Amino acid sequence: MAAIPSSTVESGTTIDPRRKTLATAVSAILQEAGFFGFEKAALGTLTEMLQSLLSEIGRSSKQFSEQALRTVPVVGDVVMALLELGINVTSVQAYKQRLSNRMAVSTPAQQVDMKQHSVLQVGDKKPHPFHIPDHLPPFPDTHTYCFSHSYKQPVTEYEAIREKAAAQKKDIERALTKFAAKTSDTQTLFLTDDKEFMLVGVKPNPKAYLDALMPRDQVFEEEEERTRRKKRKAAQEEADQQEEKDKLNDSQEGELCNPYLRPVKMPRKPKVKK
Amino acid sequence: MKKDREIQKSYKLSHQILSLTGINFTRQTVIGFTEMTLIPSKDSIRYIWLNCKQCCVYRVTLNDTLEVSFQYFDPLLEVCPQDSKQRNLEFMNKSQITGVTSVDPEMGRGELLIVVTSEAQHMIQEGKPLRVGVEFSLEKPQSGLHFVVPSTEGTLTEKAAHLFTYGNENSARLWFPCIDTWSEVCTWRLEFTVDDFMTAVSCGDLTEVVYTQDMRRKTFHYTLNTPTCAPNIALAVGPFEIYVDPFMNEITHFCLPQLLPLMKASSKYLHEAFEFYEELLSTRYPYSCYKQVYVDEAYGNLHSYATMSILDVNLLCSNRIINQVYTTRKTMALCVAQQFFGCFISRQAWADAWLTTGIANYLMSLYVKKHFGLNEYKDWTHSELLEVIEYEERFGGIILDPSSSPNEPQNIPIGSPNNISKDTFYFSVKNPHASSPHFISVYYKKAQLIIRMLEFRIGQELMMQVFNKHLSLALIAVANKGHPAGWSNMLMSTAAFTKAIFTVTGKDITVFCDQWVRQGGHSKFNMKFLFNRKRNIVEMTIEQGYIGELGIRRYVGPLVVWIQELDGTFKHTLQIEHQVSKKEIVCHSKSRRNKKKKIPLCTGEEVDMDLSHLDADSPVLWLRLDPDMTMMRAVEVEQPDNQWQFQLRHERDVTAQTQAIDALNKLAKQGAVTTEMRNTLNAVLENEQCFYKIRCRAAHCLTQVANAMVANWNGPPAMMQIFRKMFGSFSCPNIIRQHDFTSLQNYYILKTLPVAMAGLRNTQKSCPPEVLGFLMDLIKYSDNSKNRYSDNYYRAALVDALAASVSVAPVQHDPATITSDTLTEDVRRILCEVTRYLNLEKMLPCYKYTVTVSCLKAIRVLQKNGHIPPKSDIFKAYATYPQFIDVRVAAVEQLVDFLPHHGTREDLDFLLTLAETDPVPRVRFLTLVALAQHPPFLMGQSHRLDNEHLVERLWTFMNSGQACDSRVRSAVMDLYYALYGRRRPSCIPASEPALVLNLRKPPNPPIQPPITVLVKEEEPPPPPPPPVKLEPPPPPPDILTDPLSEVKAEPLDIPGEVIFAEENNIREDVEVFEERIEEVMAVKSVTPSVEGDMSESTTSLPGDSHDSQGGHTGFEPDMFRTGSADSHGRTHKNKKRKKDKKHKKHKKHKHEHKDKLDKLGKFIQEENLSSGSSNPPSPASPSASASANLSVPTTNTNPVLPP
Repeated sequence: MAAIPSSTVESGTTIDPRRKTLATAVSAILQEAGFFGFEKAALGTLTEMLQSLLSEIGRSSKQFSEQALRTVPVVGDVVMALLELGINVTSVQAYKQRLSNRMAVSTPAQQVDMKQHSVLQVGDKKPHPFHIPDHLPPFPDTHTYCFSHSYKQPVTEYEAIREKAAAQKKDIERALTKFAAKTSDTQTLFLTDDKEFMLVGVKPNPKAYLDALMPRDQVFEEEEERTRRKKRKAAQEEADQQEEKDKLNDSQEGELCNPYLRPVKMPRKPKVKK
Repeated sequence: MKKDREIQKSYKLSHQILSLTGINFTRQTVIGFTEMTLIPSKDSIRYIWLNCKQCCVYRVTLNDTLEVSFQYFDPLLEVCPQDSKQRNLEFMNKSQITGVTSVDPEMGRGELLIVVTSEAQHMIQEGKPLRVGVEFSLEKPQSGLHFVVPSTEGTLTEKAAHLFTYGNENSARLWFPCIDTWSEVCTWRLEFTVDDFMTAVSCGDLTEVVYTQDMRRKTFHYTLNTPTCAPNIALAVGPFEIYVDPFMNEITHFCLPQLLPLMKASSKYLHEAFEFYEELLSTRYPYSCYKQVYVDEAYGNLHSYATMSILDVNLLCSNRIINQVYTTRKTMALCVAQQFFGCFISRQAWADAWLTTGIANYLMSLYVKKHFGLNEYKDWTHSELLEVIEYEERFGGIILDPSSSPNEPQNIPIGSPNNISKDTFYFSVKNPHASSPHFISVYYKKAQLIIRMLEFRIGQELMMQVFNKHLSLALIAVANKGHPAGWSNMLMSTAAFTKAIFTVTGKDITVFCDQWVRQGGHSKFNMKFLFNRKRNIVEMTIEQGYIGELGIRRYVGPLVVWIQELDGTFKHTLQIEHQVSKKEIVCHSKSRRNKKKKIPLCTGEEVDMDLSHLDADSPVLWLRLDPDMTMMRAVEVEQPDNQWQFQLRHERDVTAQTQAIDALNKLAKQGAVTTEMRNTLNAVLENEQCFYKIRCRAAHCLTQVANAMVANWNGPPAMMQIFRKMFGSFSCPNIIRQHDFTSLQNYYILKTLPVAMAGLRNTQKSCPPEVLGFLMDLIKYSDNSKNRYSDNYYRAALVDALAASVSVAPVQHDPATITSDTLTEDVRRILCEVTRYLNLEKMLPCYKYTVTVSCLKAIRVLQKNGHIPPKSDIFKAYATYPQFIDVRVAAVEQLVDFLPHHGTREDLDFLLTLAETDPVPRVRFLTLVALAQHPPFLMGQSHRLDNEHLVERLWTFMNSGQACDSRVRSAVMDLYYALYGRRRPSCIPASEPALVLNLRKPPNPPIQPPITVLVKEEEPPPPPPPPVKLEPPPPPPDILTDPLSEVKAEPLDIPGEVIFAEENNIREDVEVFEERIEEVMAVKSVTPSVEGDMSESTTSLPGDSHDSQGGHTGFEPDMFRTGSADSHGRTHKNKKRKKDKKHKKHKKHKHEHKDKLDKLGKFIQEENLSSGSSNPPSPASPSASASANLSVPTTNTNPVLPP
């Protein structure tokens, strides 16, 4: 419990308004009692004490009222609570009646809710039509009661598209290279350590020719080209086809004659080998 | 002369069987057997020489029955004596040529000497076949046979492990014993037993494939009935994918697993080459089949062998790749051309290499002309011509056929070309294993150009008839089975070719040959002219002002000049007779510019020209000298810039346009630029009729022009508008269109323009911000998603452009303090893109890693300009072994570039280690080439890398580091030459270590390399100023150098021992100790008799022929010549090196008499040492020069010990 006052006192902005009022009250009492100043910690403790007292009074009052099968405490319940706490009820009366240098604690102002609620705003709200008075609540978001398309009209401006595509490509590449630079060995261009221009380290690549000759940096669509070519040659196609078939047959025959494709012969009878 | 040699050869090869059985990929070993059928041309043969290197020979038999003894000696294991102190190239070169010649199969010599003992003499009878069988094995061959076994997981198939043979010129001896010359042709039977998942591809027809008994291996049987020489035999084994060409069934393609689709795409035009050549030569393809094998880690782009070619796998490309296709198709076309000339028709000797290679290249160029267009062909020819000229002017004239000097008396008065040519190079041109590889490549280019010249002389049609005649004769010879005598037509030689031309055309080209083939160099013309208005003539001065300079010689004869006048093109043929020829040419046109009329060009077109800039009086638009490149010439034309502009704008010939651009470039460098120049270049750049390469060159030239006129340049940067017009989107020209590379012209211009623009500089000497922003936009908006082709080369060009935009940092920071925060904004953006591209390539590599290559270069440019700290470890990481070769080579180039300014010894050592030990032979070679091209320091400049350590390392490397790969050895020589020239490196003390060495001669090794003896003799020569210096230094150095030399000598001794070890190995492999003894015995007893025999019967041995010929074949004439030269000029006397004992002795005698040096003791020693074998090199007993190297190691040992 001790931590709470200190924290409340210190962090003034988040202070509970109730405590603030209580603290004011305590200060007033202190001033009435003739003090001119206080230590923050002392004030906090006193406030805490006053709060405990008040809550205890409230709690007890509620219990008394509940004991009497009521839901709302009456004056009697409070009196009973005070009595039980050992507080002289009449002194309260007397205290209330005091006249000299009485301090008035102003009613705490209504606390404004500081927190911004992030309301999902979609589109512009419609203003009230003229026949609806302004004090009535505003219209809700249009999408909650009007039909609308769920997508935006795409941007068709060439320049913007290219710009976007370029940006996207660049972002992807940058992210990829950064990732690679962070997950593998690196070389640096500078004599000191450097995080900005890291080079991904070189890994030995025993079959480098495969990577080099069959690059993966671009994907080409084989099909597209083929169809295009076919269209172009549509006229000759038939003749070509015939020819191709012939050629195919030829080449198949050729493959059969090719000595490298012939089946391997079984070993002959043991022969002398050098 | 050649005929003489043939007669002298005591045996002729008629058939050879090669069988390789134990091919083991994990241990990288091969066990084999070969049998050669020799036909003796006389009744007794005492020795048979075979070529064989790095093989272990187990057994040699004659006719299967009689086992005979043999000796194995490879002089190139250590080119010169390791403990010699000589460190200059002349010495190395002489030792090398001696070594190479002593095993030269053209001289009938070889590394393996088989002694035919008396009990075998009964087998030898003239005309009766003698079979020589050799059992041998190879273990982890250093060269000649390359095993590619990637270090990945998996089986051999998954690894795509394969092997193939390779070699520099005639290097078949590296993988099997043979007679390794082009002139010894024979028929072949080849058998290769390999694992059952492998395919063995070799020369000839595959007759059958048979399982072995255990069914785990297969034997491939090949027969080759066309007589073929050993260097044209090859083998490739691997788990190849097999693809039969759909157009020609005779063609079979082989590639490594997974690459089949690429191979299909790459080879779809191959049949065109066949059809083209068959039609051109009107001869059928001479073989029954053709095979192409694509291998990884290849030695060169292509190597042609009979019926097959071994190509680099990196030639393959898919349909999506543009740039590579040209190279690939050219290479394949060349392979096919070489089947006709080079494989089918072989050459008589190395001196005839220009014919076979030249013709093959020439045929390929005709293919290029037909399929790639006339412009491409001309431009290519022009670039080759320029390259040859550049080489000749730098290193000296290239003689195509050095075997004999011109018959005609020279018309050049001073310094007869003969002498010049002999001393021109720091290497010998007489043997491919002693020549610089750079020289050989340029030599082939020149050969092609000379064949082209010949075409101009006799006409293409007749030329083809000549080729056809050769081929037909060869085809007839093939039918002549089993009779080597009838096979001479399979070979081509300068003499035979000249004769064939005479029979076919009736033209005698001897003069031509004398001028262009047997003499080196080219002519160089400088042309000036003046227009004389009164007489309406052009007064022209053609001057050959450079005669006598390296590579340039005088020309006498006709020269064609074209003058483009207002009325058309007029061709004049001038006779050039003097060094300065003044000619007056009458102009045809009156100057009549007022009449607006179209101007006819040489092509017959008529065009409108804007003549406002033309000199008012002159009707001459431009002039050209020898426009068709009908000879080897360099041309300097002096014209005013407006004529160059006319030439560029309106001449249709690409060579003329290139010349004009070069001239404008030169003017721009001098700052003589005009707005018209800019307009002309812009017009060419935009002209779609123009050849794309010209347009690209115009763009680069425009960069120069714009930079020269930067002070008064208004408007947007040069080329920006053209680029936007050509490639910008319609709605917003500042954004580049999505790529579409279907127009090749535009593709190349798209690639070129950014680089050209990035070269622009503003008045502050930095790249204008607009241009940099433009480049960034290009990178940003680059979109290839709709393209049919890959944009990898374009992306690489963008990175190149970024690199080109970098200029020197205004403030040079201390490298240690440079961090990413200190970079300027521009550099930051550039570096950001470069790193992004480079990193992206790690995950999504593009074709052949072109972008990575460009990124590495860009990083180096940034380093060089002081923007980022110079660090070499980045490049080292990319240069180490298992990376893609292009990336490695690029990294090596950056490292080489690194050396002059920031290089440390570690960097240089890294490169040299790469050159010495890299698993890929080609990288070894290319590293050396890169170093030689950009040497880390220049001669005479003191540089911290220029120290003794480097000299020793290089020397050891070329002396004994690369015994087998002569290409690498010669490349080290190139490097050595680039660093130190021909003389002793200045960091090596000129000491006289002779005596020291003698004293320290280790007594233990039983066999002392003969060369140590030579060393002593070498010692006198070292410093050019002889007597003064010689006297004082010797005594102190004796003591002083002793420790030094000891230090040096220790490592030097080691290689020597290695040799012994190897020899021992060989013998140990024989298993039987007795045999070893036998051998030694044989050596001891036999060698002296060799010499005895020779002096007795001077004509009998093959070696004699060349010697008695004297001046023509061997190195000996060289020696004679230098000797005599020496005696004339005394200063050189001491520098002389003696290779050959005999020569040495001979010379020594001279020396002694002349110099009266008091070194009697030494000489006596020498005499003693060599007494057994030494005779002065009188023509009578000269062959000993070659045999000396064989015999000396053993014979000399005993004499050496006593002193």
